[in-house]
Amino acid sequence: MIGGLFIYNHKGEVLISRVYRDDIGSQIAGSALFSSSRPFLEERRNAVDAFRVNVIHARQQVRSPVTNIARTSFFHVKRSNIWLAAVTKQNVNAAMVFEFLYKMCDVMAAYFGKISEENIKNNFVLIYELLDEILDFGYPQNSETGALKTFITQQGIKSQTKEEQSQITSQVTGQIGWRREGIKYRRNELFLDVLESVNLLMSPQGQVLSAHVSGRVVMKSYLSGMPECKFGMNDKIVIEKQGKGTADETSKSGKQSIAIDDCTFHQCVRLSKFDSERSISFIPPDGEFELMRYRTTKDIILPFRVIPLVREVGRTKLEVKVVIKSNFKPSLLAQKIEVRIPTPLNTSGVQVICMKGKAKYKASENAIVWKIKRMAGMKESQISAEIELLPTNDKKKWARPPISMNFEVPFAPSGLKVRYLKVFEPKLNYSDHDVIKWVRYIGRSGIYETRC
Amino acid sequence: MPYLGSEDVVKELKKALCNPHIQADRLRYRNVIQRVIRHMTQGLDMSGVFMEMVKASATVDIVQKKLVYLYMCTYAPLKPDLALLAINTLCKDCSDPNPMVRGLALRSMCSLRMPGVQEYIQQPILNGLRDKASYVRRVAVLGCAKMHNLHGDSEVDGALVNELYSLLRDQDPIVVVNCLRSLEEILKQEGGVVINKPIAHHLLNRMSKLDQWGQAEVLNFLLRYQPRSEEELFDILNLLDSFLKSSSPGVVMGATKLFLILAKKFPHVQTDVLVRVKGPLLAACSSESRELCFAALCHVRQILHSLPGHFSSHYKKFFCSYSEPHYIKLQKVEVLCELVNDENVQQVLEELRGYCTDVSADFSQAAIFAIGGIARTYTDQCVQILTELLGLRQEHITTVVVQTFRDLVWLCPQCTEAVCQALPGCEENIQDSEGKQALIWLLGVHGERIPNAPYVLEDFVENVKSETFPAVKMELLTALLRLFLSRPAECQDMLGRLLYYCIEEEKDMAVRDRGLFYYRLLLVGIDEVKRILCSPKSDPSLGLLEDPAERPVNSWASDFNTLVPVYGRARWATISKCQGAKQHGPELPNTASFATSGSLIPEENKETIQELPDSGALMLVPNLQLTAEYFEKTWLSLKVAHQQVLPWQGAVHADTLQMALQVVNIQTIAMSRAGARPWKAYLSAQDDTGCLFLTELLLEPENSEIQISVKQNEARTETLNSFISVLETVIGTIGDIKS
Repeated sequence: MIGGLFIYNHKGEVLISRVYRDDIGSQIAGSALFSSSRPFLEERRNAVDAFRVNVIHARQQVRSPVTNIARTSFFHVKRSNIWLAAVTKQNVNAAMVFEFLYKMCDVMAAYFGKISEENIKNNFVLIYELLDEILDFGYPQNSETGALKTFITQQGIKSQTKEEQSQITSQVTGQIGWRREGIKYRRNELFLDVLESVNLLMSPQGQVLSAHVSGRVVMKSYLSGMPECKFGMNDKIVIEKQGKGTADETSKSGKQSIAIDDCTFHQCVRLSKFDSERSISFIPPDGEFELMRYRTTKDIILPFRVIPLVREVGRTKLEVKVVIKSNFKPSLLAQKIEVRIPTPLNTSGVQVICMKGKAKYKASENAIVWKIKRMAGMKESQISAEIELLPTNDKKKWARPPISMNFEVPFAPSGLKVRYLKVFEPKLNYSDHDVIKWVRYIGRSGIYETRC
Repeated sequence: MPYLGSEDVVKELKKALCNPHIQADRLRYRNVIQRVIRHMTQGLDMSGVFMEMVKASATVDIVQKKLVYLYMCTYAPLKPDLALLAINTLCKDCSDPNPMVRGLALRSMCSLRMPGVQEYIQQPILNGLRDKASYVRRVAVLGCAKMHNLHGDSEVDGALVNELYSLLRDQDPIVVVNCLRSLEEILKQEGGVVINKPIAHHLLNRMSKLDQWGQAEVLNFLLRYQPRSEEELFDILNLLDSFLKSSSPGVVMGATKLFLILAKKFPHVQTDVLVRVKGPLLAACSSESRELCFAALCHVRQILHSLPGHFSSHYKKFFCSYSEPHYIKLQKVEVLCELVNDENVQQVLEELRGYCTDVSADFSQAAIFAIGGIARTYTDQCVQILTELLGLRQEHITTVVVQTFRDLVWLCPQCTEAVCQALPGCEENIQDSEGKQALIWLLGVHGERIPNAPYVLEDFVENVKSETFPAVKMELLTALLRLFLSRPAECQDMLGRLLYYCIEEEKDMAVRDRGLFYYRLLLVGIDEVKRILCSPKSDPSLGLLEDPAERPVNSWASDFNTLVPVYGRARWATISKCQGAKQHGPELPNTASFATSGSLIPEENKETIQELPDSGALMLVPNLQLTAEYFEKTWLSLKVAHQQVLPWQGAVHADTLQMALQVVNIQTIAMSRAGARPWKAYLSAQDDTGCLFLTELLLEPENSEIQISVKQNEARTETLNSFISVLETVIGTIGDIKS
């Protein structure tokens, strides 16, 4: 149970404060709400200040995302330079509170885009309205963006029509919480995005220390009625099950099956069916939602290899050579490639030569940033830099932070492939063939580091 | 500045709100109200326009209504008389044809938080409970809890409670969950909502219909349910199986906890469950949501306490990456330290060694301490790494390494030789108090094996005038005196100088007293000095206390998925019970500084500490909460199982006794005030099987004996005997200190 929710900017000013429970109210609660002539409210302000001093303005790095001030727990999450804090005096489950804060961020982002100070200031009425619906007396209520849309009035000036009123009633009494009845589209369409982030930690010798892919299948559905969907992918267990009949087919197409370490689904997926038959069937919510989330650690296609070479020439010079190799089909193009090569703090000057893209030394970030717009598969590119150092009497050896990389590739590094997505709607007369389907794969870098 | 000029703003807004032209134009009117809310958020006192805002609530515009109600909820406690005016409008809205308006009005009315509002909200809430729109029912159900809160500790309305119990069968899942929450708050005095068999089964069947918040909440309520038979138990576990793989980590943890608690008599089921949630937990640990990752890591540590090998094969998952936030790195280092085994020790140490040179001094120190922790099992490898780190000659590293050495030598005497060889030269790179103390202690205790020990100490003696930390001077005194015993020729001269300085020139009283004490001790004779100062140089058995062997799962299952693993048990205890906060006095020295204080710890205290692992056969539950009433009732209903008399002298220091008893998990229920005759105390304790021990201490000052009477609610002699031996030890120890 959450006693109150606050949003601060990076200076520690309270942008939004909503207090749900008196037990925190007497001690901390909201903003600098009232003038100082009211002592009991004065006390509230002290604790808000304490949070600002202890967390937002703290000199050291944040030691824990759960901070206890005056026997009250502050769960805080940072988004760009905005702090969201949920406050409670109870012994709650930490994971749940954080999940709630993430959900809150998602809902806000769905309404007004990026969570920034300006957006929050401009939409504060909407945020209060959301906070009113999502939490009541500190207990999470409805938090599905789609379902919430019926209750939120902001930006909708016209008063509600009869039809909308009846929708509320049917929406909340319906058996399926995530979809209302009577949805109609002229064109039945669905979009599937396989979004993966590939994480790598590599030793200087090119040995993979740890690598994993965390992926999400996001579906955007614009389908009429109550469609029944069935989703299939190249899951190893399924492929092996069907093995006998289609063994040669799979080997012919060269598609390998993948081993999924663990996966979780949106609540609309019938888990019983997944457990027994490993088939994923569901009635999707309207609009965008996350169908599944998964993680793989085996046979990951690492899109890039980074080969670093650092040589210290005397006390005042470093030579750095970094080679990146793209490791995928030559017909594919990787985009937004960025290699970040850290430099020592006492760098005085840098000369860079690169074959491709642009490289710049950014003194403020202590790094050479090398950007390449596009790069095809099975290519190789190289950068070499001479770093001149100021002589220092600091005996401290430079710790050599790892070389990190960012990129985007049009395939799934885990090897996941969507095999089919079938739609059945028995009541309305459209069939699987009438639905227009789009599938897209995007692989992004998560934490992709090579030590040097 | 929000506080300046607020009066002008209020005046202006007031005028605007009263302006009939603005009132006629819906958009302009709403804009003015928005400005009021905006100022309210920015911290201006807007209570001045309360009257005008109440008027604005009478509108058909739902946006405007929401804004005004938000305003009212904020300022109603300050203007209760004016807020009553708004009640009329709110009541009317509660019977609006639009369910959204009904819900909104009801919610706002319940949130008004002002005295006297109860009589107005009672009827609308009752109507709301029977509303046909579930949206209104949700609000009304929570409204019951709010109403109860406003009443304070008034009586529970039986009819309302029954109505809420029947609403547990509502169609709408959120109404069901809200009912549970509401009942829980209303019945808090009676121990919360009762989960009987029909309710439990009903909830279990509805689980899949709930959203993640509801699921987590219901899982929490189900903890209370005791299945009647083994068969039923396993049916429930089967039903809940899929929640162990839920997409929400919160639900996964909730389900795990439920499994652990329900299966508390089936250790193999517990182990099985922990194996199955390994995947989801690991996924959470490597998730991009950092805060969640932190929470998951805390729980992984908790699990590792009981199953040390559990995550060993996944140790690479816990390697830190450069860009992770500080708190995750620190947790990961702790985890690495716990899951180390013969196969991965090489790689883990290699990785930790990398962290030791991290830019962040905090992180590098944590890594060094972690290596020190691993060194208790894999001494040679770790000492070698630590010695290499000294070669870097960096202040923040050297000081931590030396501290680690000090603690290590105390626990693992076999590494003393290696440590002594590594020490020379360190003194140049240590500036802080902790590090100096550690180094001086090592030189003093093991000085006979370090050739240049006297010369290093001599440097310290030379510079003692400019030394800023009194603790270092005290340590220096003790160390030099110790070294003098083993190498008198080299030390005599400087010992004299140091003593002279401490007695004649030093301004810090503690240092001066220590100096005088040693001076007089030397006057008594060298044998006496030896007797006092030559305490043991190591104590491997202390390691047992520091990392007790695998704790059973049941000892932490009830803390799983709460804040306890996040804060740590000790910290949580101080947070939840403020009275415990101040009592952590000198009785129990924390282990890091243990070796430093060396001979200064009275022998008696050490006994208490060593006694602890012995009582291992009998596991007393920490934090047992018994009310005095319950104690009295039980006490009167039981017979005395054991009676004994122990010697005792002088008066009783209640605090000391209470502290000492708390250390062995015996709680004090009541005590006579100090000096009362006869003096009495009542104690209680419970072991892990649920057996209660109730004890009376009776002290008659004239016969200088303390009489102990123990009652037990289940007759089992062997646990009784071990309980009595624990009690005897504590009382014996305290008695000794007194005399």
